Amino acid sequence: MSEQAVTVEAFHHHDEEGTRLGFWLFLFTELLLFGAFFIVYGVYRSAHLNDFKIAAESLNTGIGTTNTIILLASSLTVVLSLNAMRAGRVKLAKTMLLITMALGTTFLIIKGFEWNAKFAHDLYLQTSGAIAAGKGSPLLTPGPEMLPNGQVLFYGLYFIMTGTHALHIIIGAVWMGIVYYWIAKGSINPENVGVLERCALYWHLVDVIWIFLFPLYYLVA
Amino acid sequence: MNSNEQTFSPRGPIIVFSALIFLTIATVMLSGLDIGNIGALIIAMSVASVKAGLVLYFFMHLNHEPLIFKLFVALAFVTLATLFLLTFSDYAFRGIA
Repeated sequence: MSEQAVTVEAFHHHDEEGTRLGFWLFLFTELLLFGAFFIVYGVYRSAHLNDFKIAAESLNTGIGTTNTIILLASSLTVVLSLNAMRAGRVKLAKTMLLITMALGTTFLIIKGFEWNAKFAHDLYLQTSGAIAAGKGSPLLTPGPEMLPNGQVLFYGLYFIMTGTHALHIIIGAVWMGIVYYWIAKGSINPENVGVLERCALYWHLVDVIWIFLFPLYYLVA
Repeated sequence: MNSNEQTFSPRGPIIVFSALIFLTIATVMLSGLDIGNIGALIIAMSVASVKAGLVLYFFMHLNHEPLIFKLFVALAFVTLATLFLLTFSDYAFRGIA
């Protein structure tokens, strides 16, 4: 390294490893957020095991499996994008990032259809205002048609947990769009991959969370 | 880990991805077995943990990170496991779950 390069580096000091460690700390807070959901799910599931099993029967395992494979594939393409960028293959990195965004969008579209089918069966999240105004779902609000408590809890948790997860997919996909723009502009380049790296880490974590959501809702309940 | 001399090779990630798909199909097929609630839960969560481990170790490049990263991640999961253990043992003795 030349004398000048050392000076410039010292001047614009940037600790890439420290930044990455800091980002992992943020990921741990995400883990605790979803961890709290999983605890609530675990406690209510053991308290209402049969209701959870009955309600879970209405979820389509085929759709859940398809979405799992889509998310795993998107994890593969984002890691390929990062590896390509590190190896100087900028165009390939951009293509892989685009495919990742497309897969994330496909996941959301499938999730949308899945939710829509539930809405059509009077299963949806409702505000206390809507319930008070008599606009609540007859299946989920107190009344003659109301489902057993355990099933109402199951659907509530299902919408909240998959909804929070879907929100993370949206954030990740938007972030990738910004990263794509920065790659196109050249500010993210083979010498400066930090932002792409953290974006990929975030995407993988969202995938890890889905890896646990999938069996709990589509397989064992 | 930011050496720019490295060449692009999709082989490693594709092998990990294949393992993840295999485990996904395996866990779906195993969920059809009639082995009772606890057995099904243990199998499903074990497979999910292996899958999560593969993503964390290879896709999230923990294999290339210094030891302190691995310790941090392990500590995060131990913390989560402790919260689970304490909460569930509490509920188990309250007679509602």
